[in-house]
Amino acid sequence: MMLQRFCRALVALALFLPASSFAGFTDVLDSPASMSPLAAKGLLNGLALAGKRVVAVGQRGQIVYSDDGGGSWRQAVVPVSSDLVAVSFPTPQQGWAVGHDGVVLHTSDGGATWIRQLDGRRVGQLMMEQLRARAARGELGSTEEADKVIDDANRIAAQGAENPFLDVWFADEHHGFIVGAFNLIFETTDGGQTWISWFERTENPDQLHLYAVRGIGSDVYITGEQGLVLKLDRAANRFRAVTTPYKGTYFGAVGNADAVIVYGLRGNAYRSTDGGANWQSIDTGVPEGITGATTFGRHGLALVSQAGNVLLSRDSGAHFTSYRPAKPVPASAVAVTGDAIVIAGALGVSAQALH
Amino acid sequence: MSAVTMQLDRMPVVSELNDFDKNSGNLLERLVFNHRLVMMLVCAVATVLLGWVAVTRLSFNASFEKMIPSHHPYIRNYLDNAGELRGLGNSLRVVVENEDGNIFDPKYQDVLKKINDDLFLTRGVDRAWLKSLWTPSVRWTEVTEEGFRGGPVMPDNFDGSPKATAQLKLNIARSGIVGRFVGNDFKSSMIFVPLLAKDPETGKPIDYRDLSRKLDEIRQRYEATPGVKVHLHVIGFAKLVGDLIDGLVKVMSFFGIAALIAMMVIYAYTRCVRSTALVILCSAVAVVWQLGLVAALGFSLDPFSILVPFLIFAIGVSHGAQKMNGIMQDIGRGTHRLVAARYTFRRLFLAGVTALLADAVGFGVLMVIDIPVIKDLALTASVGVAVLIFTNLLLLPVLLSFTGVSPAAAERSLRAEFAEAEGASQGGVWDVLDRFTSRRWAVAALAVAAVLAVGGFAVSRHLKIGDLESGAPELRADSRYNRDNAYVTGNYSLSSDVFAVIVKTPAEGCLKYPTLVEADRLAWALRQVPGVQTTLFLGDAVRQITAGSYEGSPKWLTIARNQDVLNYGAQQASVNNPDLFNNACSVMPVIAYLTDHRAETLNRVVAAAESFAKDHGATDRQYLLAAGSAGIEAATNIVVREADRTMLFYVYGAVIVLCFITFRSWRAVVVAVVPLMLTSILCEALMVALGIGVKVATLPVIALGVGIGVDYALYLLSIQLAQQRAGVPLAQAYRRAVQFTGKVVALVGVTLAAGVVTWAFSPIKFQGDMGILLTFMFLWNMVGALILIPALSHFLLRKAT
Repeated sequence: MMLQRFCRALVALALFLPASSFAGFTDVLDSPASMSPLAAKGLLNGLALAGKRVVAVGQRGQIVYSDDGGGSWRQAVVPVSSDLVAVSFPTPQQGWAVGHDGVVLHTSDGGATWIRQLDGRRVGQLMMEQLRARAARGELGSTEEADKVIDDANRIAAQGAENPFLDVWFADEHHGFIVGAFNLIFETTDGGQTWISWFERTENPDQLHLYAVRGIGSDVYITGEQGLVLKLDRAANRFRAVTTPYKGTYFGAVGNADAVIVYGLRGNAYRSTDGGANWQSIDTGVPEGITGATTFGRHGLALVSQAGNVLLSRDSGAHFTSYRPAKPVPASAVAVTGDAIVIAGALGVSAQALH
Repeated sequence: MSAVTMQLDRMPVVSELNDFDKNSGNLLERLVFNHRLVMMLVCAVATVLLGWVAVTRLSFNASFEKMIPSHHPYIRNYLDNAGELRGLGNSLRVVVENEDGNIFDPKYQDVLKKINDDLFLTRGVDRAWLKSLWTPSVRWTEVTEEGFRGGPVMPDNFDGSPKATAQLKLNIARSGIVGRFVGNDFKSSMIFVPLLAKDPETGKPIDYRDLSRKLDEIRQRYEATPGVKVHLHVIGFAKLVGDLIDGLVKVMSFFGIAALIAMMVIYAYTRCVRSTALVILCSAVAVVWQLGLVAALGFSLDPFSILVPFLIFAIGVSHGAQKMNGIMQDIGRGTHRLVAARYTFRRLFLAGVTALLADAVGFGVLMVIDIPVIKDLALTASVGVAVLIFTNLLLLPVLLSFTGVSPAAAERSLRAEFAEAEGASQGGVWDVLDRFTSRRWAVAALAVAAVLAVGGFAVSRHLKIGDLESGAPELRADSRYNRDNAYVTGNYSLSSDVFAVIVKTPAEGCLKYPTLVEADRLAWALRQVPGVQTTLFLGDAVRQITAGSYEGSPKWLTIARNQDVLNYGAQQASVNNPDLFNNACSVMPVIAYLTDHRAETLNRVVAAAESFAKDHGATDRQYLLAAGSAGIEAATNIVVREADRTMLFYVYGAVIVLCFITFRSWRAVVVAVVPLMLTSILCEALMVALGIGVKVATLPVIALGVGIGVDYALYLLSIQLAQQRAGVPLAQAYRRAVQFTGKVVALVGVTLAAGVVTWAFSPIKFQGDMGILLTFMFLWNMVGALILIPALSHFLLRKAT
């Protein structure tokens, strides 16, 4: 009798167990990045300077850093193996990296070890809680307007970890923005302890992907799909649309107090010296997408392309000189430290003397 | 045991046939010699029949599956899924090089188009998947504001004009095919030619030899194109097999040379044209029978079994020569030739059978190697040895009973025998040999042997498993195939040493997110292994396609969690990279491109893949080793490594048992076997020195070397022991043994070596390796036996037991 009951219980238990069709699979969010001597040679999409240190982030959660201007690289300890795409260091110690699966990582030791601050499993819930609270407080306008925002956000939130953050920018060690697919955008004012959704504070009615966020001069710009350029209106706490002549994707924005340049698909780049009111086309001579850019010195600008072209300017983008390496490699990001230019891309990071 | 043992027994001289009792001798002797005409007729008919079978039915084959250990789990995994692994299947790469210019030369493009069309029409080509600059399937794509844009790389109505050429240049630049379809130096382009398993018209498997010839025809035709100097490089398994079969045919032509050398050796030994011709004839008959039987049993000649006729011929000649020796002496004494033939039969038949059995042991142990070609080799060689019993032990004496020998040669042989019996000097080295029974010489000889053994052993520690050179290991490094391979490897990005792990899931499982992530982890794990250049699997294509659908942003080079994105990626991949997964999406290879196929590299890759499969395998997701050329080679190496030990164990075990049965003395067994061991060690050292690894082809060498090499010890020791047992002291006993058998030992060594030395010139590398090593073993075993047997006897056999 006992045995029979026990068997029945076993059968019942077996029926209740979830169908383990993917038994033995550990999610990338639950498995730390593997350590590999090849980490600096794989796809690296994000690059930032942490003081004199260069930090690059890339595929499979791999983060590498160099203290000798890109000569040699060490690998950081990272709790996830998601594909990372961007990194920002407001101070030599404090840094943030973002990527796929909605991952936000933080370091407070200049990039050697990282902890998770947010991931895609929590992003949707976080955003919806905040938006519902705002709707309840009447901050989202009329009921209809609020419903539309909640509906739109809900659809995106339901996708959970499917949506990536595509860029991160921190003004200082407390204040920063992260942006991503389908108008995902969060702000922090406490170094990532809490994240506040800005979902309804962008003029992006079609929920286009936001590819980049960057502080330029005293402004903050966001670029995205279909010619989307947004500029922070600090008074209104909103990102307002800026009109540009091009309707293709802008992969990023770069600039200094003198000028801002937005760049993207098929070698398109436009420059504005009046805070985005007027734009002049830059003849880059590059047919491929421009995928990364950086500032250096007082007036220096560097752009890199998917075909490995490097465009340099010493006058805040008024004039560019184009270089094409002998063995071009698709480039994703660029940084300048001292007199070395460091380029990250499909085949990892490499450094060479600045021309 | 040996023929020579019984040479000492004299039989009465019978010069008149009438004085001889026809009914004397055993049943077999009466059966054979009292019906000589019937016997000859039967043999003649058998020769004609089997010869006809051999000529009409014997085929050449270098079947891929017969050269691999088909029972090894890796190979089973591969064969079970071979139909689903398109990219790793059978294909040819035809690289057309413009020697004086580049691919933008209009004349070059014209030739390329013609070659492309010719290949398209060649039978056995899977036309739908043929790819080149001239097929619309080689495309460029670019991302625009509106999405993807693309087209064939070759512009419509390309006419070689500067405008069209500029368009072609642009298309190539934006297609990313440099390194895949266009050489890195723009001097060549590739035509990728996938092959069908079966001819669609006849339903028969593709005839590789025929295909290879057609490729050579195409090569010849277009390399002669006036006005542009094109050069074709063709690689791929079908071409390799074609070249192997051509090599095989060439090796067959060496047979004549081997026979000629054997003939000269025999003539030098007998100085009798008649008997030399008879010995060669009987041995040739043995080869005809062997080939006929092989064909009748349904086997075909492959690069291994083609070597059996050489061995059979050599063994036949050396045994035949001994028969001849006995008959000559009897005839020289005045015995009638028929009686002499019967005497010889009486003396030598049993001994001959035993000696051949010893040779068969060498072949027999090869059956333990689980590789079909080696088993076939063992089987066909056994057939050959069985045939020798008929042709050289029965037919040869019968024929001799008709022809007799030349009187001068008979007399000469008798003179030599008298001289030997009187203990006269044989001159030269023969006199020196018995000194090795004295303490000083014995110690010196053993000391030298010990030094050689220790040195050889130290060197042989560096012996590697597997192939050590790049390119196709079957052919020589400087063969056209390997030169073509080197050109392609040098100018195109991906290596031809491919190791693939088969990822198996339920249907539609290959494009599930967890599968792609796990496969990505496997690829990354493999990439960590030194010797892995790069890896490729469906996920790489899916990443590219995903990024492409997001305006090419590198930030989207990811394996997306969204199943729709993955489905779209797989759908696109099925157009551009159909070789990365099967139609049911249940089989997906993770391919590692290796820098070389050396055993260490393969071991490392196998270890990494095995450990991943163990840690990550799930019921719905299996990681099966292994496919690709390097995967198969890895399995072969594993089998070879195991077989190497078992085979040594069996061959020495068998030889020891055989020696013990013959000598009935453990000490004598040691004396017989130690020289063989020294040769085995030195052979391994020689392999290290020559850069030859332990592989399928070298496995048989040691078995054959030991199995056939023990004959020398059998000849020498059986006489020596017989003498010692008759009370003769060691030095004298050995002296007599050398007197009676020294020349026979030399004869056997030289004829065997003559049989195999020609292989060294084979265009097939492993045949060359086998030839060199076997020649070494046959000759060195002979020297070792002549020197070490007396030296060891000094310590072990001074008192005969």
